[in-house]
Amino acid sequence: MHIPDGYLGPQTYVTAFGVMAPVWAWASHKVRTTLRLRQVPLMALGAAFTFVVMMFNVPVPGGTTGHAVGAVLVAILLGPWAAVVAVSVALAVQALLFGDGGITAFGANCLNMAVIMPFTGWWTYRLIAGRSPAASKRRWVAAALGGYVGLNAAALSAAFMFGIQPALAHDAAGRALYCPFGLHIALPAMAIEHLLLFGVVEAVVTGLVVAYLSKSEPSLLECALAPSPAPGGRPLWKKLALGVAALVLLTPLGLMIPAKLGAGDAWGEWGGDRLTELAGYLPAGFGKVAALWHAPMPDYAPRGAEEAALPVLSGWYILSGALGVLAVAGLVWIARRWLSGKETDGIAS
Amino acid sequence: MDKVFDFRGVSFAYPGREPSLRDATFDVGEGERLAVLGANGSGKSTLLHLMDGLYFAQSGEVRAFGQRLTPEAVERPPFGPLFRKRAGFLFQNSDAQLFCPSVEEELAFGPLQMGWKEEEILRRVGDTLGLLGIAHLRDRPPHGLSSGEKKKVALASLLILSPVVLLLDEPTAGLDPRSQGMLLELLDDLHGRGGLTLVTATHDLELLPHIADRVLVLGEDHRIAADLPTERALGDTDLLLSVNLIHAHRHRHGAMVHSHPHQHTRTHDHAHGEGKDHLH
Amino acid sequence: MGIAAALLDDGLPAGRRGWLGRIDARAKVLGLLFILVIATLVTTLVPLALCVGAAWALALFGGIDIRRVALALLAVPAFTLALAVPASFNVVTEGAPLVVLCHLGGGHWGPWRVPEFLTVTDRGLFVASRFALRSAACVSLASVLAAATRPQDLFKGLRGLGVPAAFVMVAAMMTRYLDLLVRCAEEIHLAKLSRSLGGVSVRREQAWAAASMGELYRRSRTLADSVAEAMVSRGYTGEVHTLRQGRWSWRDGAFVAGCLAFGAGLLALG
Ligand SMILES: Nc1ncnc2c1ncn2[C@@H]1O[C@H](COP(=O)(O)OP(=O)(O)O)[C@@H](O)[C@H]1O
Ligand SMILES: [Mg+2]
Repeated sequence: MHIPDGYLGPQTYVTAFGVMAPVWAWASHKVRTTLRLRQVPLMALGAAFTFVVMMFNVPVPGGTTGHAVGAVLVAILLGPWAAVVAVSVALAVQALLFGDGGITAFGANCLNMAVIMPFTGWWTYRLIAGRSPAASKRRWVAAALGGYVGLNAAALSAAFMFGIQPALAHDAAGRALYCPFGLHIALPAMAIEHLLLFGVVEAVVTGLVVAYLSKSEPSLLECALAPSPAPGGRPLWKKLALGVAALVLLTPLGLMIPAKLGAGDAWGEWGGDRLTELAGYLPAGFGKVAALWHAPMPDYAPRGAEEAALPVLSGWYILSGALGVLAVAGLVWIARRWLSGKETDGIAS
Repeated sequence: MDKVFDFRGVSFAYPGREPSLRDATFDVGEGERLAVLGANGSGKSTLLHLMDGLYFAQSGEVRAFGQRLTPEAVERPPFGPLFRKRAGFLFQNSDAQLFCPSVEEELAFGPLQMGWKEEEILRRVGDTLGLLGIAHLRDRPPHGLSSGEKKKVALASLLILSPVVLLLDEPTAGLDPRSQGMLLELLDDLHGRGGLTLVTATHDLELLPHIADRVLVLGEDHRIAADLPTERALGDTDLLLSVNLIHAHRHRHGAMVHSHPHQHTRTHDHAHGEGKDHLH
Repeated sequence: MGIAAALLDDGLPAGRRGWLGRIDARAKVLGLLFILVIATLVTTLVPLALCVGAAWALALFGGIDIRRVALALLAVPAFTLALAVPASFNVVTEGAPLVVLCHLGGGHWGPWRVPEFLTVTDRGLFVASRFALRSAACVSLASVLAAATRPQDLFKGLRGLGVPAAFVMVAAMMTRYLDLLVRCAEEIHLAKLSRSLGGVSVRREQAWAAASMGELYRRSRTLADSVAEAMVSRGYTGEVHTLRQGRWSWRDGAFVAGCLAFGAGLLALG
């Protein structure tokens, strides 16, 4: 998951730094105002803890081992904004002192592991955990699912960054300059690895550590740093819904901006023709594969739609985004129902 | 002003716990050498934290240099910075105290917060390291120092501010006998120059005569059990027994079982009727 | 787990670390990161190979401990090479076949179309070597920077280059306590190990690892609280102040100038 230097082109890594700059500014503001005099040591030890978690080898059935990233765990323990700072610092030290993860790719790595991962994981955790007491089973199941969702979201984003490289950056002869593997390889490769192996490790680590702490020192799970939604404040799911809606609506911008600028293509998932026309380059093996994709929604749009004009495409993007969100929300809702049902049963009996 | 600290009926409890200090009333005069003596968990560290304005009395009041210690008072200038400069706290855990990437920066941390001039700071860093005989450690990172060296660097980081009070939390714990001796000598030296008030928390009875003229004994009920000169405290076996600093030691000499107060820090010998030799 | 301790525990004074070690950290960060960025911009093989060569030259003749960079200089590029090999195949990069590796038989595999033969293509070979060489160049440069600069100097240097003081202090403090936490984790783990008898199931092992991490977190929190108290006790009020930097010597200037010239030369080469 740590993207090394040389895998991403400047278009991608500079953009990632651009996205991270305001996020870092806001995160450090949040951390400074909530933690005041304790901010520096708490963030430092939080980062060191993250680092050590990443070094732990955790066995999984089947004889292999993997290591967790720990960003969702840190978000649950210290709050998501604090996790942004702590994980970013851990990644900075890894890149600068240990050569783990690139220096130019630092912004991109932070976007994946210090923003996307802790926030998606923490939202999932909060949604499922609800207001359950720190010692309840619901907490650690929520944490495990949060870890799983967070890690896979981060992996998806990393795969996406890899996968758009051949389409985004290539030389005059059309040969990929950076990561040579397009989305058709990067996405399935990363998805399989993370859905089946690393996601499980992350879930196990996040869930078991939260379970351990809820037994041995529940006060650490109830800390003021990771505020539960304030009563009277906007409920979490509303915030979440607003955030997701904004994201879904903004997605077409990613389509339009590069098209307008005539630069590369931000979404390497378009049909081959469109891409060739846009950038004068057929990404490696992509044209063939795109045409042969038998999934119900190739390139997130039904067959033929890719020929349509940009507004129509945008519409399809919004629709497929919304469908994806609905599917995830449905799963979370079922998990919540199932768990809270168990909870009340337990209390009643 | 001759009172450095003045505690009146001070109690303190950690959130959600029983009080760790109850109704403490005492004062500390300028230039005094006071020991806070008590078993583990009796509240010594808590008391020192209250003296250093890191925790605040939940009932009663703590005064330092005549000023009542409150969260606002220790932050607001001019008293706040002045108080931080005058009172130095040597933590029990040196690792917590040495948080900078190098010894030089460790020493410079306090003066930088006080806004001293950089040349002045660098000069004082050299002087202070020289005073403690650790000039060669200046560029070293703190991890990787021996525990004796860590203690010295931690002490140097306090001394650079020329404090008038030193609060020492179990300063010799975990040190080998040689470092322990050097530390005690150094503290003696500093106190001999006059003006320095020393407050040392310890459970080590052997250490007591070297570091204190007066002893505040904390009981396991977290109350002050006694406040008396060092020799009298050391002689008062009943008192030491009652606060669990020595324990009635039962053991077997041949066929005879007997029990007597026992201080682990000293070897002692006593004779029995049957005259079986034994060693503790 | 020994890695962190080995890398961070370096008691050598700056003066005994060869000429590269004596260059001001700001100059090293500036100069080497400049070349690193250039290495992500050039498009041909020659400048990339020159980057790798420069990193090796600095490692060999800069007076730094070669053992500390050997791993990064050899193992990581080897890893990338392994990853780059598939990029030379026709399934990833289309092109004129150079070598036919095996008969795949065509047809479909799920949504992917399988070609008739698996071949190494001319374009693929170029793409793969450029990718591997670029990664090697970047990793070598970054590891030379890390090996030639003590962590405490590196952080000071970043501060001197305008990175916010609070961020630098958090990073420096993290590095300072990393070694302590790693040892703490080992201790907890050993304590658990010594209490176990015979074989351990995967579930048990997972629970252990988690308990160790939970315990480690508890200790980290306690330590963080103590550190905060120690900082406040010495006058910390929320503003981070750090020592200013030493002066630049002509050597530092020359080093940066050399790096800039070298980088510009690489760009000119393409
Ligand atoms: N951070 C803390 N949180 C909760 N309880 C604490 C904390 N620190 C100390 N205590 C409790 O307060 C009591 C006094 O502790 P302390 O002052 O550290 O004793 P001593 O220094 O004499 O060993 C003990 O019972 C201890 O368990
Ligand atoms: Mg104590």
